[in-house]
Amino acid sequence: MFLMLLPTLLFFLINSYVPMVGIYFAFTRYNFADGLFGSPFVGFENFRFLWQSGKLMQLTLNTIGYNLAFIVLGHTLAIVCAILLSEIGARFFKKLAQSIMFLPYFVSFVLINVIAYNLLNYDTGFINSLLVRWGMEKLDFYSIPWIWVFLIIFFYLWKYLGYYAVIYLAVITGISDEYFEAAKIDGANIFQRIWYITVPMLRPTFIILLLFSLGSIMKGQFELFYQLVGNNGLLFNATDILDTYVYRSIKVTFDIGMATAAGLYQSLFGFVLIMTVNYIIRKVNEDYALF
Amino acid sequence: MKVKDAEYSLLFKTIAYVMVTIFTLVCLFPVLLIISGSLTDNETIVRNGFGLIPEKFSLDGYMYVFKYPTAILRAYGVTIFTTVVGTALGMFFITMAGFVLQRKDFKYRNQFAFYIYFTTLFGGGLVPWYIMLTKYMKLMDTYTVLIYPGLMTPFLIILMRSFIKSAIPDELVESAKIDGANDFRIYWSIVLRLSMPGIATVGLFLALQYWNDWFLSSLFINDTRKYQLQFYLYNIINTVQFIRDMAISSGVSIGNPPTEAMRMAMSVVVTGPIVFLYPFVQRYFVKGLTIGAVKG
Amino acid sequence: MDNHKGRKDTLRRNIKLVAAFLAVMLILLTGCMGGGKSEPGGGGSGGGGSGGRTSASGLDISQRVELQFYMLGDAPVDLPLIEAEINKMLVEDLNATVKFNFTTWTDWEQKYRLLLTSGQPVDLIFTAEWTQYQAYAKNGAFLALDDLLPKVAPKLYAFVPQEMWDAVRIDGKIQTVPATWKEYVTFGNVWREDLREKYNLPIPDSLENVEKFLAGIKQNEPDMIPLAANGLFHTPGYYDFKYEPAGVASYGFPYGLYIPYDDPSNVQQFWGSERHLEDLLVMKRWMDNGYISRNVLTTQDTAHTMLVTGKSALMMGDNPNRWNSTNQDMKSTHPDWELGYYPYPLKKGYATPVHPIHNGFAIPISSQNPERALAFYELMVTDKRYNWLTQYGIEGTHFQVTEDGYYEGLSDSFKREGMNGWAWRNPEYMLFDESFEAVNEIFHELDKIAKPDIFTGFAEDWTPYQAERAALEQVRQQYLHPLEVGLVDDVEAGLRTFMEKAKEAGLETIQKSYTEQWLNYLKEAGIQ
Repeated sequence: MFLMLLPTLLFFLINSYVPMVGIYFAFTRYNFADGLFGSPFVGFENFRFLWQSGKLMQLTLNTIGYNLAFIVLGHTLAIVCAILLSEIGARFFKKLAQSIMFLPYFVSFVLINVIAYNLLNYDTGFINSLLVRWGMEKLDFYSIPWIWVFLIIFFYLWKYLGYYAVIYLAVITGISDEYFEAAKIDGANIFQRIWYITVPMLRPTFIILLLFSLGSIMKGQFELFYQLVGNNGLLFNATDILDTYVYRSIKVTFDIGMATAAGLYQSLFGFVLIMTVNYIIRKVNEDYALF
Repeated sequence: MKVKDAEYSLLFKTIAYVMVTIFTLVCLFPVLLIISGSLTDNETIVRNGFGLIPEKFSLDGYMYVFKYPTAILRAYGVTIFTTVVGTALGMFFITMAGFVLQRKDFKYRNQFAFYIYFTTLFGGGLVPWYIMLTKYMKLMDTYTVLIYPGLMTPFLIILMRSFIKSAIPDELVESAKIDGANDFRIYWSIVLRLSMPGIATVGLFLALQYWNDWFLSSLFINDTRKYQLQFYLYNIINTVQFIRDMAISSGVSIGNPPTEAMRMAMSVVVTGPIVFLYPFVQRYFVKGLTIGAVKG
Repeated sequence: MDNHKGRKDTLRRNIKLVAAFLAVMLILLTGCMGGGKSEPGGGGSGGGGSGGRTSASGLDISQRVELQFYMLGDAPVDLPLIEAEINKMLVEDLNATVKFNFTTWTDWEQKYRLLLTSGQPVDLIFTAEWTQYQAYAKNGAFLALDDLLPKVAPKLYAFVPQEMWDAVRIDGKIQTVPATWKEYVTFGNVWREDLREKYNLPIPDSLENVEKFLAGIKQNEPDMIPLAANGLFHTPGYYDFKYEPAGVASYGFPYGLYIPYDDPSNVQQFWGSERHLEDLLVMKRWMDNGYISRNVLTTQDTAHTMLVTGKSALMMGDNPNRWNSTNQDMKSTHPDWELGYYPYPLKKGYATPVHPIHNGFAIPISSQNPERALAFYELMVTDKRYNWLTQYGIEGTHFQVTEDGYYEGLSDSFKREGMNGWAWRNPEYMLFDESFEAVNEIFHELDKIAKPDIFTGFAEDWTPYQAERAALEQVRQQYLHPLEVGLVDDVEAGLRTFMEKAKEAGLETIQKSYTEQWLNYLKEAGIQ
């Protein structure tokens, strides 16, 4: 049995664990002559830019805030959607709906940005043209920071709804019909059947997905934010997350020390979070825990 | 009692249809915009934006994409190859790992799960991994480098584990063992067949991951004949971005930058085929495959 | 289930596992560290010397090697053809083959960084000030070519003028081979000449006239957005036009310091000054009057697209060469439109030709065959066969020379300078499009008032303040950019906020260090 797991273990050893030595770079100042391991050690100097701007707290809060919204709203909606889909009888409609809902996942964020711009821009945007036609004032979306909190969450949900719904739908499909039959005979109506059977069966999957999402909580969703917000400084306070901040800062230098340092901060944060949550879950029900 | 249930069911079903329709339309709308945009004359796009129906119909975008048909076909070939091989191989390893990890009689399952999961939390970063693949494993410009890194993702392994756990009752494995089957046989004959929905799902995600990948091509592939589809698309889009961001400082002149219409057309061409994979896979999301397995 | 014992067992098991794991890692680590040091370059060509061949300049070429050549941008479609032709000749001349690699524009900065940092064998790579040549050179990424040049590439060494060699020295060493074609990438105004005539507007040859032009367009063509701007595209042009600085960094003055060309040691504080406020108010006026698109910071279109499709009418800050290509582009869809050009140097009174650093090729220290690489590059520049093949393609298939000696393209699979060969241009062999005459005229005009570029040769060492620099970058994007495009209602308050935040991020530290380095550079370079 162990043999069956061996290729996987080897894969991760080579692909992920060995390169981890690179964490050392976060503490060096690289120069080409000395190469990676010979460069001078500079302690926490590379981490300085993170708190130099005083934005660290806000970035951390933004990142956590957005991610919580993504997780809570995303999964709730996906579960609801999966349940609704599973109850639909008409097979053609069901298939069609599933396929269409999955489409957004294929749309890369670059395109989402193009679409968003097309909908929202001041001069020729779709929405603004409608407003004008109805005799109202145009709205300059790109100058109003707080709208973007909702817009970003909306686009995230749009893209991932189908994706997560598919996962939940697969689990629901696997639930044996016997349970539902038995419940029906016992007199449970449809809402009760869903609440007492389907939802609990989805719980383990939800927890796994949750743990994964939490683990990368500090890593945000770089593409999403970067593409939608771009270089529009007006929106930074409301929409900047750690990832985009680091990317912008690092862009003007080639120093791998700073980039690694930032990555380390994000990882550490996620790590502590996960260990805590997993521990709690393990206490409640050992089966659900990730490890 | 029966009447009430029927009423609720009807109510529920109505709600279901309505909401799903709404979701579907919302998902569909932007996609329609892209398709419409790909069929619009570029100047109209720049001056007036694009709408659901092309204001000024034009096939220019597509003509640009198909100007060098061999290049596109080759990219398709490469992508299909990497997707098929990668998914097949990957699924093999992932299902094996998932099966082993959920076995209650596997002493170290939690530790190994953690070992795998930990890699998502920490990493050495891009540079050491890049060095490993280019300098030590010499994988630059090979097909291997497009397949190898994506074979196993912690997310998919753990997902597979839970699918298998809920689909295969322990008793089944026990009885098979008593009948003398070794682990691999159990895996091959029983697990693979019974966890179909799970396998279909994970397989789909894995295939998508390969199909959508551009990052590996960007870093490791210099030979234009080995470009993947998405990378093609990204190149076109990024040429425009380069001009936008760096134009001033670099003074570089790139004649005829790709237009909006071209980018839309490219996206349709690149994404189109894989969209049809999903309905095909749906066949496997069928209930009831587990029933009868234990009873019998 | 004896839980207590079970838990102790698990703990012991875990500890054993972790210990075993760490041991494995440690072994691997020492292995990595041993081989981790990037191999110093100059690994040299064929070691043997056993009755080997020697090249024209006496280079030992007994062993066949493959050179890795890296250029930015996209590969032309017919690259394999060209590569094959080149290699046919190269095997004869240097017993070597070359592989041409292109980074594409996707994530090219990342790729460039990885190519140099990872220590993988790269023999030749493109450099320019906008690829951070100065910083990489200062950090030791490239091989010093001083000794190598006269030995293995004497023709090339003689071909490039001594001032150009000196101009690309960083820390006293030549680290790249500059291109020798003198061109001007100075800024200028580009506008729709046909519209200007139609509405009888003034030629945009001064800031007042620019504004009148914009107002005129706005009035007569309400659907257009007068200024073709994307992000801060127009800002460097604006500042260059108004202030005659020694050099204009991507977004205006370096760290807000204004260095006048005529008085370079007089470094002045620009950000936060009265002048700055004035300019910002002008921008606000332009924005309020509708000359600039409200979505200028996020628009998807490039400024060129806006001109070519007729969405806008004026662009500030473009160079003559690009003006010409944009004009050609536009005429292919709108033959009756015309683009006019006014070069800023005419108003400033002097023009700085492109600095030698602007296009160059260097040899990274990871190269395994630096001598052969340099000899190959010599062929690329000085040997007409190599030069024409890589710049224009195969004669008869991709291009032909007209009777007047102009270039005429025959195929889209390899356009003029299809390999982005800006760096290995050879003025003696260059072919131009007939339409380029217009640009040449401008160059001649600018030649009359040419003066040297004193800014680009400065290699800034930002390591002492890299954290502040990164933080400042953020602050600038967030607080300064909206001001510079006129999107902030209360300009004064906005400027004050920006200055505060900039100071918090460490602006003064940066400025102090930068000014010191700049004055040192002036002294060493002997500029007043």
